[in-house]
Formats: sequence, C-alpha cells, structure tokens
Amino acid sequence: MKNGHFFTLIKKIMYPGLAAIIATSLLLGITACGTKVTRVKADSVTDLSGNWNDTDSRLVANEMIQDALSRRWLNDFNRKYHKSPAVIVGTVRNLSHEHINTRTFIADMERALINSGQVDFVASRTERGEIRDERKDQDLNASAATRKAMGQETGADFMLTGSINSIVDASGGKQVRFYQVDLTLIDMASNRKVWLGQKKIKKTIEKSSLRL
Amino acid sequence: MGKQKRVTELLSRVFCRLNDLSLYSLKAALLIVLVNSLQACATYRSRALSMRSSLLQGQPQQALAIAQAKDRRHKNVIASLDTGMLWRINHHYATSNKIFEIARQEIEALYGVSVTENLAAVTINETLRSYQGDHYERLLLHAFMAMNYIQLNDLDDARVEMLQADVNMQAWHDTSYNDAFVRYLAGMIFEALGQDDDALISYRRAYQRYRDKIGLEAPRVPFNLQHDLLRLTTKMHLWNEYKQYKKTFALNRFPSSDHSQNDGQLVIILNNGLAPVRGEAAINIYAREVQKQLRVAFPVYLYPKTSLMRARIRIDNKQLGLETVEDIDALARHALTQAMPGIMARAIARAVIKYQSQLSAKKHSDLEGLLMTVTNLITERADTRSWTTLPEEIQLQRVFLPAGRHNVHIDMRNAAGQVVDSFVQTVTINPHKLTFLIHRWIAPVKKQPVKKQGRKENDSQSTNR
Repeated sequence: MKNGHFFTLIKKIMYPGLAAIIATSLLLGITACGTKVTRVKADSVTDLSGNWNDTDSRLVANEMIQDALSRRWLNDFNRKYHKSPAVIVGTVRNLSHEHINTRTFIADMERALINSGQVDFVASRTERGEIRDERKDQDLNASAATRKAMGQETGADFMLTGSINSIVDASGGKQVRFYQVDLTLIDMASNRKVWLGQKKIKKTIEKSSLRL
Repeated sequence: MGKQKRVTELLSRVFCRLNDLSLYSLKAALLIVLVNSLQACATYRSRALSMRSSLLQGQPQQALAIAQAKDRRHKNVIASLDTGMLWRINHHYATSNKIFEIARQEIEALYGVSVTENLAAVTINETLRSYQGDHYERLLLHAFMAMNYIQLNDLDDARVEMLQADVNMQAWHDTSYNDAFVRYLAGMIFEALGQDDDALISYRRAYQRYRDKIGLEAPRVPFNLQHDLLRLTTKMHLWNEYKQYKKTFALNRFPSSDHSQNDGQLVIILNNGLAPVRGEAAINIYAREVQKQLRVAFPVYLYPKTSLMRARIRIDNKQLGLETVEDIDALARHALTQAMPGIMARAIARAVIKYQSQLSAKKHSDLEGLLMTVTNLITERADTRSWTTLPEEIQLQRVFLPAGRHNVHIDMRNAAGQVVDSFVQTVTINPHKLTFLIHRWIAPVKKQPVKKQGRKENDSQSTNR
C-alpha cells in the first residue's frame, strides 16, 4: 500500500507541470517533428535523410544509359568499323560533399549497355590484374586445348571517366543540395570527346528544430 | 529517466518495510540506498578517468575495452566518439571511421531541441539530455575522420569530410563557431589534391578565424599558414593580396629559397596529449523564489591546462619545432564558459523545483520529506560529458624536402629539454606533392624489446660523438 502511495506522491509533487508541458509539446511536436524531405523533379522516391541514395544512383544510371545509346558516336563507330565499340571504365571521382559509391551506377550502366548488344566493355585496370594472374597460372597448369594465350586482349576504343559534384546551401535546419554527375566518353585513339552525359539532381531538406 | 526510476524503485522498496524498522535500521537502509544510487549515477567523468589512466600507461587496447563496454550498440554519441578515437589510437583507421560515422549520424538525428530531455534537465539533472557534442567537437569529428582517410591513403574521402564540416559551419550562421584548424586542414587536403584555388579560399578563411579569435580560444596565426598564403598568392599571381599579407605578416624571409623546384612538401601533424576532463562542483546559491539557500551541482574544469611535452623533429640535417594550430584544451574550457549561463539557469530552476517537492512531501509526513530530500540530493549531478580522448593540442609543421625516402625522427622533450620518448618514421616524398605524417602522442611508454633497442642506438650515438 505504502509503495503505491509513494508513487502517487511523486506524481502529485513533481510531475503535474511536467505532464502538462509534455502534452502540449506532443501536440506541437506531432506537426513539427521529423526530417521533411521535398524532392524537386522526380517521380517515385524513398528519401530518409536527404543523402545520396539508391534512387539517385538509379536515376543517374537510367538517364546516362538512354542518353549514351541514342547518340551519334555509336552509329558513327558502327558504320566505320562494322563492330561494337569496346569501352573501358576509368575513374569516376567523387567531388561532392558526401561519401558516394560511384561503382553502383557505373555497374548499372555497364549491365544495360552490354545487354543492349551495342557496346562491349573490357575489364578495368584493377580487374585485369587478377585475370592476367589467372592466365599466367593457366600457362603452367591448364591443358593445351583450354589454355588461353597472352597478348589476345581486346584493346578499348573508348574510355569512360567522370565526376560527381555538389553544391550545398545550408542555413539552420534548411538545406538545398544540388548534385551534378558528369560522364565523358573519350576516344582512346584521338583523345576526342565523343559523348558527354550529365544528370542534375536537386533536393531541399528541412529539419525540425524541435524533437521529443 | 532510467536513473530516476531506479532510485525511486529502491526508495519504495525501503519504504515498504519501514513500518517494522527502528530508526537505526532506517538510517542504515537509507545509507544503502544512497550508496547504491551513487553507483547507478556514475558519471562520464569516472569512465573518462579510467580510460585516461590506461592511455597514460600505454595500454590503448584496455582503454578501448572500457569505452566499448559502455556502449555495445553504439547508441550513445559520447561513447562512440571515444570508441572511434581509441580505434584510431590503436591504428585501426577504417574501424575508427565506421564508429565515427555512427556518431555523426546520431548527432544528426539529435538535431533540434528536445522537449522531454530539457524537462528532465530542469527536474532531475543535466545528464538526462542526449549528448550532441559541442560545436568544436562536431567539427573535430570531421577533422579526425579526414585524418583517418588520409592515413588510409584516401584523399578524396578526406575531402568529403572537409566539405561536410564546411556545410556544418555554413548552417550555424554564427561565425564564432567556425574552427580555424578545420579550415586549415581543408586547405591542405585541397592542396594535396592539386586544387590550389579551393586551398587558397580555405587558407584565407583559416587566417580570418585565427586572426579574429586571438586571445580567446585559438592560438595565433601560425607561421606555416602565413607562408602558405604567400606561396599560393604568388603561384596564382594575386599580387595585391600577396603585398597585403606580406605587409601584415612582416615576413622578411619570404620567399624562402631553401628548396628547389622539384621538392615535395611534408606536413607533420602531431596530436599531442589528452583533452581536459570536466569535474563536478556544488555550491549553495540563494533562490529568490523560495527565499532560501539551495545546493546546485555544475561541471567545472578542476585543474589548469597540463603542460605538454614539446616535439623536436629531425629530418636529414634539419631540426624543426612544431607550431600549435589547435588548442583543444582552450576550446573545451571556452565551450564550458559559454554554456555556463544556461547550465546555471537550469540548475537554479531545478533546485527550486526539487525544494518545492521536498516541502510538499514533508507536509504529508516527515519521513516522506526526508526521502524526497535524499532523492533530490542523490540525483543532483553535474553533466561532466565532453570528448576527452581528443588531443590537448594539435601541432603542425610543413617542410619542403627533396623527393625520395626520408627518415623523420620525432623526439618528445619535457620542460627541462630532456628527451623522454623518441621514434622514427619513414616517409616517401614525391615532387610537387604533399605528403602527410600524422602521429598521436600521449605519454612516454616503456616498450619492452623495441624501446631497449632504441636506447642502445641512442647510447651508441652519444658515444660516437
């Protein structure tokens, strides 16, 4: 009995004011709490913090693939050499203010371009090392019929490089983030830029100044 | 809220049995409650001090274990900051950044003023507020993440951290929260990436911050930064700005001709010592509302700044000192001074609320009044949290060296000039490039086999002389 009494006492003394304020803050808080993200020019998206996410990566990949396949460089190359161009992925530098894994949309692009049957990709610098090691190993251990010879690699016709840049304007709990992804396809023989892909993404992010 | 619950639970358990107890056993029971609750209310300070003693004994793994035991699920910002830093001290830079990233995200999630936590702060105590890190700590979090990335040879990601620190500073409006060293570090990272224009902007901002903060919480404009500004304005042919800097800095010896065109630059960053730990003090203050002297607890720095060991660098035939570019000890003390009016206002409000609760309890019965008094006394604890595994100072030197491998000897010397610890690191300098050498030094440690060898070498050197 005493036990229960003590708690009522505590409640009576310390918490009536507190409870009242919590109740009001709850009412206020329901409308004001949480990070509110408003995306500019986009269809279906899942945004949590406003940081770069899978949606952005997918948007970039889609835009780039469509653009790359519909431009003149591909037809020009086909007409001239009667074969698909071989492309190698160089570095895509992250110059934005976030840690962005550029490999995700590059991989998306590679997959879509190879599957289209119009472009071949050759292994990148890091991938090549492992394959060459394996060929050296084949030279010693594989049967003559299945052994792959050295010096038979396909040289790339084009190299894909690029960068992600961002501009951030922040003030208190509000932020405007602008990302620009630039990809460039360069002709390995002539250093000529044959294709420039660009995707811009803009977001506004508002954070509440109150939480529970 | 958990602590308060535990205290009231304990109290009520005692309360149940009170009918059968004599006054003597009541006293004993109260004492037990008091002791138990004090343990429950163990402050951050006690953990910080035990980590510190491990670090000072040269056992960073043990310190890491203490930090990890507190917060296995990485929900607590201050514990994550300490854990991240201790992984760093243990040379696990990737793990360190993983933990730091968790801390950063937690801090971001804590954006905004919490209604309930502030209520708890004025009714129970300040430690019930989530720790979000002071402004300087949030910026240094990015700086140390950047240093981790530099040590992982990933300058692009280090650059990202610096941009995030910049976004933070932008969002805060108040330029007094800007950090000169973070700006300077950003400049160096830009320069290492060959982005001289960005680097110059960061150096300018760092200079403005060092200049405006003089005497408050930052060291004076480092000579290194003065040289960097002159060097980059020359390189970019900004002659008006160059003349202005040269006049302000009165550097007669610039341009220094002690390096040739093909040299590279070495940046030595020494994270020296340990940031101060907050203690608790309690005073009686007069509260007008109840016309009575009331006891309030608040955080203080109990001891003045400890004097650091100074480093002397020997490379080839050059001897160099290091400049202080960030005085974290001063930043921490300044942050507490700035927060003090708020802390005291909340403390007085809390004392009045607690006093009123005691009065109402006493009206009910003397025993309840006594219990409430004890509860209030126990729960009145100061918030001693701050990031204490940070270094006390960050020191720096930049030097041009011919391309190739160099042995960098760093000797730590005490106030009397005696060498208390020394170590060698090998760096490879590339022409026109920036190379970083980042080191953390906390205390001279007796390393069993390695140290002995070092001593022998030193001995043989002295005999050769």
